[in-house]
Amino acid sequence: MARYGMVIDLSRCHGCRACMVACKVENNTPKGSFWNYVFRFEEGVFPETRVSFLPRPCMHCDNAPCVKVCPVGSRHKTLEGLTLTDWDRCIGCRYCEVACPYGVNCFNWKDPKKNRYLDWSDPSLEGVELSHGMPYANPDLDLPQGSQGRHTAGGGRMKGVVEKCTFCVHRLEKGLLPACAANCPVGALVFGDLDDPESPPSQLLREKPHFRLLEGEGTEPRVYYVGGAPPTTASRQIEAVKARVER
Amino acid sequence: MNEKKRLPFGMGRLGTKWWVLVGVSLTLVTRGIIAYSQQASEGEVVTGMRDIGPMGGAAWGLYIVFVVYFVGISFTGICLASLIRLLNLKVLRPIVRPAEVMTVIALILGALAILADVGQPGRAFLMLLKYARPQSPFFGTFAMVISGYLFGSLVYLYLHGRPDAAVLAKRPGLLQRFHRWWAAGYGDTPPERARRVRSSFWLSVALLPLLITATSTLGFVFGLQGGRPGWFGSLQAPGFVVMAGLSGVGVLILIAAGLRQALGEKERLNLELFRWLADFLLVLLAGYLYFLVVEWLTNSYAAGPSESLVSQAILAGENAWIFWGSVAFLTLPAFLLLLQRLRGRVSLPLIVACGVMVNLAAIAKRFLIVVPSQTHGMLLPYSTGSYTPSLVEWEIVIGLVGLGGLLFALFVKGFPILELDRDYLGGTK
Repeated sequence: MARYGMVIDLSRCHGCRACMVACKVENNTPKGSFWNYVFRFEEGVFPETRVSFLPRPCMHCDNAPCVKVCPVGSRHKTLEGLTLTDWDRCIGCRYCEVACPYGVNCFNWKDPKKNRYLDWSDPSLEGVELSHGMPYANPDLDLPQGSQGRHTAGGGRMKGVVEKCTFCVHRLEKGLLPACAANCPVGALVFGDLDDPESPPSQLLREKPHFRLLEGEGTEPRVYYVGGAPPTTASRQIEAVKARVER
Repeated sequence: MNEKKRLPFGMGRLGTKWWVLVGVSLTLVTRGIIAYSQQASEGEVVTGMRDIGPMGGAAWGLYIVFVVYFVGISFTGICLASLIRLLNLKVLRPIVRPAEVMTVIALILGALAILADVGQPGRAFLMLLKYARPQSPFFGTFAMVISGYLFGSLVYLYLHGRPDAAVLAKRPGLLQRFHRWWAAGYGDTPPERARRVRSSFWLSVALLPLLITATSTLGFVFGLQGGRPGWFGSLQAPGFVVMAGLSGVGVLILIAAGLRQALGEKERLNLELFRWLADFLLVLLAGYLYFLVVEWLTNSYAAGPSESLVSQAILAGENAWIFWGSVAFLTLPAFLLLLQRLRGRVSLPLIVACGVMVNLAAIAKRFLIVVPSQTHGMLLPYSTGSYTPSLVEWEIVIGLVGLGGLLFALFVKGFPILELDRDYLGGTK
């Protein structure tokens, strides 16, 4: 059985944030929810400054603090190495969110249907016809996933539950790459079976020195980084995405 | 009618002050219900909470602060009641019943505060029954505190109320049926009494370790999290226990003073009793101030960069006024109570003021534990976050406090809030 993971080549990433957009379109996440987030960093003092980028999907940790603290087992590990949320079981206590040191969790603070980027009740949109009713409504997301048949795919489900990156579990079932990896214009996000020594991510890990984020926390992330260095206390975030949700 | 008038401690008689208390409490509860219905329909977007990380918010806020606060109060009530019974502290006997009632009410409020916090409260019941995981530190809060501890406290209150209920069940009146139900055939005969004393002794023995464990698990909710700077630490659990004691004794002082005033019970609720409570408060204050110094010395001397950012936000940043306010409200009562002790005097207004101050400090301290570690010192370089409770959150929390007042007011009118004397109406107690 494949045990998935991702290797992110920081020497290729140029911070275009296409992965963030691809994720939003694929997973129908509401406003303010960024399952994949790309940091843009600046270090040093002008004119000696250096800009770098760091995509941050969920780390799908093997020793995930969010899985440990979930009181009802909604957040769970799968045999394929994925850390997933069963939105049909989540009670919305947000313990996973405070336990995660990476800040990857997104709570539905309001009804996602009322939290779209476009107001579909706008009269000017009358007459616009789409194949699946709502735009972005990906029908694959409604299917139960994996051998346990749990509801883990996609976002924007209901208010009061936590959601996060699934490594596009619904695409993996079809043999496709996660949307972020499939849409990266420079192939910086390399996804595959980390147990298979011949898979592209395994090869990359063999060839290049690598690190994982916050390794000292003991979370055993399944996301590795090559071609760069981890952010330090000197790294300042620039052009932060304004993730806001208003009443 | 005459019979009814003779019911003890103002039971069954609804005076103006009582109506004022009920009126104020009902107003607060109504505001709280309106606010909660708003939250239930719109979602928790109506709160000041937001996601940690890109959204720059705090995922836990005022509700969790008050879960910890209410559970802390409940801890002290039953803890003191058990100790007073086990050690037979006669001076403090009159506050046993108010302490037991305080515990039960505070636990109900704690449970409701959790419901206010979770995004899917209806689902929470079902999922916790079906899938509860003991590995989660929350399990202790849900299973031990809210269920086991509430059940144990109710049984405790019920058992100790039976002799009084047995006496009152013989009195005709509106409440007779209720008292008969409570007594449930109990007649306080010597063998019955022996059985009750034995079972209550073992219940006290069982409840005390359960209390410490349950309050500690609440500390573990934070203390076991390595991913939030400022939370991970072995002092969290004992610190929670001591702070729980502080706030609980503070509330008990307020309740005892209120009852003394309202019922005119200056003999039972005498100054000697308040001196004991003040001494408890002083000892707990000394203990907590010690924890505070140890905690902040460690944090400022050898903390990592993230911990330093949290400490900075608390000591000198946006939360500094809350921190220094809480320090003032802990040191000032300690100083005043010590001074009073040294001079050998007992001033009720001073003790009441100290009770108010330590409770404000307790709420502030809980806020400082819960919030800054979510908004500051992120382990990845996110921008600094912020959290300000919204009006809805305040209304819900204050509504809960109002509900506590309402439940207490109702209990006082239906059951003796102080234990009846042995010779009350020829009763056998």
